[in-house]
Amino acid sequence: MRYAILLLGAPYSCQASHSALRFARALVDRGHRLETVFFYHDGVHNAARLAAPPQDEPHLVDAWVALSTEHGTALQVCIAAALRRGLLDAREAARHGKQGHSVEAPFELTGLGQLVDLGLSCDRLVTFGP
Amino acid sequence: MLLHILNRSPATSRVYQQALVSMAPEDRLLLIEDGVQGALPQLVRYFDGLQGRLFALREDLVARGLEGRCEASVQVVDVDGFVALTEEAERTVSWY
Repeated sequence: MRYAILLLGAPYSCQASHSALRFARALVDRGHRLETVFFYHDGVHNAARLAAPPQDEPHLVDAWVALSTEHGTALQVCIAAALRRGLLDAREAARHGKQGHSVEAPFELTGLGQLVDLGLSCDRLVTFGP
Repeated sequence: MLLHILNRSPATSRVYQQALVSMAPEDRLLLIEDGVQGALPQLVRYFDGLQGRLFALREDLVARGLEGRCEASVQVVDVDGFVALTEEAERTVSWY
């Protein structure tokens, strides 16, 4: 089956990101395809390029990148939720006159239309809230 | 049949009430994260009427030292079983 995950919880604030990651790994292990993880609300902080958690703790950002690399999962970030929280890719940083950027590939800033599309095109959309 | 997913304990949040009134007679409820507290004998009464349709996630029970303390009527599933439940349901609804 084709799955998508909607993640609304901030990393390290609540369990949602860990739950979503565990579920993501389990579903690909069962032979399903995880098309996209969509990061929305405080979940956009999962895309923070500069996240540097202690080395003996799970690195959520790296874990999402690894998932994307291994399984071709798209990592889509709601652009409106991201920009107001200081999460900008190089293009948005330039557009807003900011030095540096905090989001980079494979994370991509997209619109809510992508989320609607996921709900329509995937067999299952599973939400992990805060 | 829908799979409802609840991540709040009925002892600390009333969102379980919204889940219950939204559930159709054949729908299932999976307790995850702090929601697994609802599988304990002293709290499971909040889910009366869900016999055979109430599940709890093993990994979250273990993380809280609650494995083996669940009411016998609650079906304990691991994350692989969580995925299986989503396969069997038409859609999932998350309550938080």
